[in-house]
Amino acid sequence: MTDAPQDPAPTVPTGAGPRGSSGERGRAGAVELIGVTKRFGHAVAVDRLDLAIEPGEFIALLGPSGCGKTTTLRMIAGFEHPDEGEIRISGEGVRGVPPHRRHVNTVFQNYSLFPHMNVAENVAYGLHQQRTPRAEIRERVAEALDMVQMRSFADRKPAQMSGGQQQRVALARALVNKPSVLLLDEPLGALDRQLREEMQIELKLLQSRLGTTFVFVTHDQHEALSMGDRIAIMRAGRIEQLDTADEVYARPASAFVAGFVGQQNFIEGTLGADGLVHAGPVRLRSTRRTETEQVRPGRVRAAIRPEYVSLGPATAEGGPTENSVSGRLAGVAHLGETMQFVVEVPASIGTTSLVSRIPTPAAPSVRTGTTVTASWSSDSVHLFAPDRAPAGTATTDPVPS
Amino acid sequence: MPRPRFLLAIPAWAWLVTFFVLPVATVVYFSFGYKPGLFGTHATDVLSLDRYREALSPTFFTTFINTLRVGILGTLICLLIAIPMAYWMAVKVSPNRRVFLLALVIVPFWTNFLVRTIGWQVILAPEGWLSGLLQSVGLRDGPLAILYTRPAVLLGVVYNYLPLMILPLFVAFDRVGPALREASKDLGADRWRTFTQVTLPMARPGIIAGVLLVFIPLMGDYITATVLGGARGNMVGQLVASQFQAAQNWALGSAMAVLLILVIAVTVLVGAAMAYLVSWPFARHRRLRLADLPPAEART
Repeated sequence: MTDAPQDPAPTVPTGAGPRGSSGERGRAGAVELIGVTKRFGHAVAVDRLDLAIEPGEFIALLGPSGCGKTTTLRMIAGFEHPDEGEIRISGEGVRGVPPHRRHVNTVFQNYSLFPHMNVAENVAYGLHQQRTPRAEIRERVAEALDMVQMRSFADRKPAQMSGGQQQRVALARALVNKPSVLLLDEPLGALDRQLREEMQIELKLLQSRLGTTFVFVTHDQHEALSMGDRIAIMRAGRIEQLDTADEVYARPASAFVAGFVGQQNFIEGTLGADGLVHAGPVRLRSTRRTETEQVRPGRVRAAIRPEYVSLGPATAEGGPTENSVSGRLAGVAHLGETMQFVVEVPASIGTTSLVSRIPTPAAPSVRTGTTVTASWSSDSVHLFAPDRAPAGTATTDPVPS
Repeated sequence: MPRPRFLLAIPAWAWLVTFFVLPVATVVYFSFGYKPGLFGTHATDVLSLDRYREALSPTFFTTFINTLRVGILGTLICLLIAIPMAYWMAVKVSPNRRVFLLALVIVPFWTNFLVRTIGWQVILAPEGWLSGLLQSVGLRDGPLAILYTRPAVLLGVVYNYLPLMILPLFVAFDRVGPALREASKDLGADRWRTFTQVTLPMARPGIIAGVLLVFIPLMGDYITATVLGGARGNMVGQLVASQFQAAQNWALGSAMAVLLILVIAVTVLVGAAMAYLVSWPFARHRRLRLADLPPAEART
């Protein structure tokens, strides 16, 4: 039942170039999901998902837990089967193809190394299944272990290694098979922060060196932003936005994306015919084109990133000015390279505090408890329609890149 | 001041010494004695190996071989039935129904061992309902003649000891977990290869436990053999019991018991050696030494 996706015709978002010429075959490493739906009982885990991944791309699937990102990955691996829609790997449909016959390998969240085998045997496992000649197995296992700098651990059992070491072995075990697509299911989740950041850089280098398609599932926005060529932000089984880190950060397609990636100050208000957002005593003006065009007069949600909010001494009492708000400075936190200020604002604007983040050298010396004025420029104000129902018409990429 | 660690082990040691070391030592001691007269059970004023010579007479020897055959065959049949059943329960069945199935495996234990075995006597009797059914369907011409034969004993021991094989195997398969099976399939192994290369090797401790739990008590079992085997189902356990109870010859009974222990120990060791020999080529095939391979810089 190849349920042809209904109208509006789904524009499968792609990152680079037109898809027409690239044909159905000979695209080793391409992954396409077309109208894929997966239900568990009554719960819809993945909802008419469209996603086209280019060969050699590093895609991060980012979203809160339960958004369907792991289910999506497991469907590509073959552990789950879509109820509707189609998945193509390297241009070929994989309906009914079991996991062991897909040219795809996975790095699992908890590594899933075989405890009864040592490191070398773990890495050789996939090659043994393909009946690779022994001499070649030896060469390739050594090569794969060199790649992750784990050669000297070849004779260890998984239980004799740290989480980070096991992670490297799991990576070698997957990559030694030279898969067209490598799937990574929150592989760094169990590592401590410093190790995780090291591994992020290593993974990125490895991927660009090998040119293998990486599909990386994470709930950590920093991980997604730092590694993904493109980031698919998922929510309730759908992709809210698929774009580069820059685009996702600078031009979020929805309030959800704006809030999930990086920090945001959200202000609730009403967009009037005058083009201003009225939120309690505050007036906001946005000069950002694309977003403003999407939003119709009525209830809106404005988002301003903390790094665009500057602080100044309280202005003289008078009528409210555009794009600023006064309030008591409730707290200051030193975050290293930046200082974070929290300003108490009137609850009528839909939030009780406004966060400002200023590079430490430029930070004003203001005392907690004093009244300050927070202000921002009109081109830093994003406007969104009030939060859509998740199952509704989720927008994918509004700005084709 | 740290408390000595052995304190925790005292109950275990006390139990072991009181109920295992001392009784077995007594049995070994008695086995060197003799039966002093019609009314005496044992005497140890003169020690000799004569009882062992008696115990190893051709009649007894035949019984030992028969016991060994039932023991090994029964254990193997239990293993062959329990592996698919335990795997199915641990892997395929939903957790809710798993509890129910486990209960079904355990429920027979709520009834007395002897009563359950006599139940089989009723079923297998020539005038029993199974016999009547087979005859009426036309599968047998005469009445069923299985009771008081070796197959009946084998059937009885498999029935009685199967749960002891299923439970440890179930735990072992359950502990492997779905993640490793998925990893195996992800790396290109189909269902069968995943089972033989991941699930089964990882379940080895459970398999060993199950085999020992079944084989050892089965070798000493005499109730099943007496109830279902009659005279032809002779097992060493029966002989030992009859020496202690009917013949009142504790010395000979002890010698037989000691021989039984030795036979079990030797069989377990031989079995372990054979299992190792069988698995050795597989382990060798999998083994991979990289130590003699030059490092990456040297090869490029």
